Amino acid sequence: MENILEVKNLSKKYKDFELKNISFNLKKGMIMGFIGENGAGKTTTIKAILDIIKNYKGEIKIFGLDNKKDEKNIKEDIGVVLDDIFFPEILTPFDINSIMKDSHKKWDSDLYFKYLTDFSLPKKNQIKTFSKGMRKKLEIATALAHHPKLLILDEPTSGLDPIARNEVIDIFQEFIQNEECSILLSSHITTDLEHIADYITFINNGEILLSKTCDELLDQYGIVKCHETDFKKIEKRDYIKYKKNKYEYEILVENKKEFKNKYHIPTIDKLTLEDLMVLMIKGVK
Amino acid sequence: MIGFIKKDLLMIKSNIKTLCIIMFVYIFLAYQGQMDFSFILPFMSVIIMISTFAYDSYNKWDAYACCLPNGKQNSVKAKYIATLLLIIMTTIIMMIITIVISYVYQNKIDINAVLESIVVTLGSTIFLQSIMYPPIYKFGVEKARIGIFVIVFGIAIIGSFLYKYIDFKSISSSLAFLNDYGIIIIPIILVITLYISYKISETIYLKKEY
Repeated sequence: MENILEVKNLSKKYKDFELKNISFNLKKGMIMGFIGENGAGKTTTIKAILDIIKNYKGEIKIFGLDNKKDEKNIKEDIGVVLDDIFFPEILTPFDINSIMKDSHKKWDSDLYFKYLTDFSLPKKNQIKTFSKGMRKKLEIATALAHHPKLLILDEPTSGLDPIARNEVIDIFQEFIQNEECSILLSSHITTDLEHIADYITFINNGEILLSKTCDELLDQYGIVKCHETDFKKIEKRDYIKYKKNKYEYEILVENKKEFKNKYHIPTIDKLTLEDLMVLMIKGVK
Repeated sequence: MIGFIKKDLLMIKSNIKTLCIIMFVYIFLAYQGQMDFSFILPFMSVIIMISTFAYDSYNKWDAYACCLPNGKQNSVKAKYIATLLLIIMTTIIMMIITIVISYVYQNKIDINAVLESIVVTLGSTIFLQSIMYPPIYKFGVEKARIGIFVIVFGIAIIGSFLYKYIDFKSISSSLAFLNDYGIIIIPIILVITLYISYKISETIYLKKEY
């Protein structure tokens, strides 16, 4: 399957932070969940993909084209939702339509107003009168209304209530149905990603810790819960990280079936992305 | 780029009332025979346009603009063009008011004085735009305001110092040619100043990280 986004050896140095050789691919028709704690490098990576930061190294290809050389063509087909970055809040959704129809060749006013109606957003009120959730919905409607092939979304569901989140997730799933479009989605709400992501890329401290299919992670990986006596019997090579809690040990294992066969420890829980993040970041080897 | 120009003009919608009030104050003053304030509406329009930078910065519009097709290239250009359009529109409005009131109430129009007024109004407002925009792009609107204040204050001090020691009569006589050719020379100087200002702003903008 063809890659819609390829990031190869992306590096960027700041005074107190560094992106180190970030590499991952996003295939057509897929949703990639991009996870990591605050300050891990998710937004910096997204900004490099969009070429809105300078002096980064590495190769970024979108639709097979270089993100710098073919910037204009690429951006015609990208929709973005970035954290706290949008139109000035004295404008109205109606103004945004008027601006965007002269900014994007494929801007679809009917689709934009349909999203506004579906999201119950007023058309002629200034954005500053909107709640955080309403703003997010407007950002999503604006990102979708020019029929993009790639959506790059940084925390698109933050501030939304569960009903609205569900609504938005349905729209994202519908968006990739034609198998030509893809989504790179960074989010702290890992339960949303468990529902819709095909791939998970986990970044920590500027480095990619893993990039795998969501099914592989959730089906194969597991959390072993045991007491100290059982923990001491486990060989180091058979687990990824562990965390000692008040009464038990939580151990992240890569293949829960193999582990169960070898150690006969009965309590192996299904992995959640939240467990994965906590154990990978806070756990020790 | 038309979309970006529209965005900048739509942003001043909420200030239209202020501009209308200024216009009516001028109509009143002109009716009283005080026509020396025709510059005030174009001047205010530049000040209002400068306030749009603060909204842009608050919502990090420039980062969003850079994610749109040709956004990096068009953003600065659109701001300069939108400001110019606003200056030209408000100057035309003020001149029409001046001419109508002169015609209705005094029955005499000094075309040269009107032309002179247009040149001075356009000149001073475009010059204001040219000196203010590059520091705003470099330092942001808040810091730039302080910077501009320091520059203007500095010029005033230097000016008052020079006034004591320089023979302005000889300078003004050597600039007498401006009376004849000013209407051609001043616009040329303004276009060059505006272009240099735009290029500096664009360079600053393209070097920025968002």
